[in-house]
Amino acid sequence: MDLIWDGLRRGIDLIVGGDPDVFEISALSLRVALTATVLACVVGVPVGFVVGTTRFWGRRAAITALNTLLAFPTVVVGVLVWGLLTRRGPFGGYGLLYTWWAIVIAEVVLAVPIAAALTAAAVQGIDPRVRRTALTLGAGRWRTHLAVAGAARFAILTAVVVSFGRVLAEVGAAMIVGGNIRHYTRTLTTAVALATSQGDFGLAMALGLILLALALTVNVLLQLFQGRGDA
Amino acid sequence: MLSAAGLRHTYGGRTVLAVDAFALERGSVTALVGPNGSGKSTILRLLAFVERPSSGTIALDGAEVHTAEQRRRARRRVTLVEQAPYLFPTSVRENVEYGLRLRGARGPAAAARAMAALERLHAGGLANRPARELSEGEIQRVALARAIALEPDVLLLDEPAGAADRAATAQVHRVLLEERARGAAVCFASHHLEDAYRWSDRLVALADGRAGSVTPENLFRTTLPEGTGSKVAEIGPLGVVVVTDRSGPVTLAIPPHEVLVSHAPLQSSARNTFTGPVVRISDHTGDMVTLTVDVGVDLAARITRSALQELGIHVGSRVVLTIKALAVQVF
Repeated sequence: MDLIWDGLRRGIDLIVGGDPDVFEISALSLRVALTATVLACVVGVPVGFVVGTTRFWGRRAAITALNTLLAFPTVVVGVLVWGLLTRRGPFGGYGLLYTWWAIVIAEVVLAVPIAAALTAAAVQGIDPRVRRTALTLGAGRWRTHLAVAGAARFAILTAVVVSFGRVLAEVGAAMIVGGNIRHYTRTLTTAVALATSQGDFGLAMALGLILLALALTVNVLLQLFQGRGDA
Repeated sequence: MLSAAGLRHTYGGRTVLAVDAFALERGSVTALVGPNGSGKSTILRLLAFVERPSSGTIALDGAEVHTAEQRRRARRRVTLVEQAPYLFPTSVRENVEYGLRLRGARGPAAAARAMAALERLHAGGLANRPARELSEGEIQRVALARAIALEPDVLLLDEPAGAADRAATAQVHRVLLEERARGAAVCFASHHLEDAYRWSDRLVALADGRAGSVTPENLFRTTLPEGTGSKVAEIGPLGVVVVTDRSGPVTLAIPPHEVLVSHAPLQSSARNTFTGPVVRISDHTGDMVTLTVDVGVDLAARITRSALQELGIHVGSRVVLTIKALAVQVF
């Protein structure tokens, strides 16, 4: 138990003391997570919207594929992206492997299915009268989509937040394609893994606390938004 | 104004609508009557261009409407008020302004038109209320206001007075008559025969997705004597006991499912008993059959197929029809 308490105390000291390493790692993690979330949602939310609202050939297969991708092992994504970005791979010439962009790419691959599947579920759950009402009042295609998206906005926001949470907490792919290089690609999760294996339990605890705090903040913000929607 | 030909609609392989010809004329009110599940809502959604028919064509002013762009244009002239209307979770006023804004109306002009539409339904006081706080009846009135604010050429309504009391029903239908006077083609669905008769120029009956050229069965025009309570209405050679305070020219309706069929007279409280031969047995798909019995006039009785078999009834069988006086509708 002493180990936990000592680790916790040192962790708090590091955070309160403004340790530059801790600050740098947290900033990089946030940058990676926010960039990946934005890119993943720019792609995933519209895809989910189309899958959830329109009828096309192969739609059921698309939904099944999305739901399967949700359970994609992150290390497999890591290995695949590594294979694409390595010097011998098809995109090796860009020199992206072991940069923070490599982590962003892997996280986008992981988060697009989440954003898409949750958005599809969100808009599928919308009262079909929303679409019909917009149509009967003379709305064109875009206005009708807008009305449906408006009705589903909180559920779509949840899709965004869940994607962010997944990206922030991911360790396997970030380790493989980022390489956990100090000052360059060391994120909160990879740093926690390294610190623990090196026996620096205090540092691991400090970084873990920050991860928890970030996740908590995002969820509290989400709750606040949803609360306002219910009022 | 709006006409349909060869309309068929299927859900999951089942044909729910099969109407060969249907037309709505400018400056007229058409009532669609029929029981729940007869296809009223389906045909309205097809006519409103909200759903595409499985086959068949719909034409607006003679021009067939096919492509997405044609349908979008048509929806600017045709609107539908659904049975349980959806209001956007904004204010009542914003709901009514929604379609006006889509048509380019802005600011005070849109607000004035929205208010005028609400006032016509005595709903002006609701303008600033959040839509989600309204009662069912208020929602229906606001949805109707939202539709008439657009001054549509074709106004379609699914049970427009479903949640309204008698006074509100009359008010809704008076607004529909105003729309007719403006030149709109109005069509409302109702399972309430009395309202359908009273407020329409023309009645179309739907049963099992098919439009009947004949209006609902067992309808008789007659003249009732003065007085209150129980009285005898003359229908051809028959004297039918009814309970009503109405007098003068009326329409009587005897719902076929309220007619009891037996071989011998029943000892019962029912006031009307008629005897005659079965002249026709019409097969419906499903468990019900309709017997037409000549008791001096043709009366239809709807019974289950199993009852038909147990009683051993066939064309030519003499049967007794028993009808409660209270079951006879007067309007």
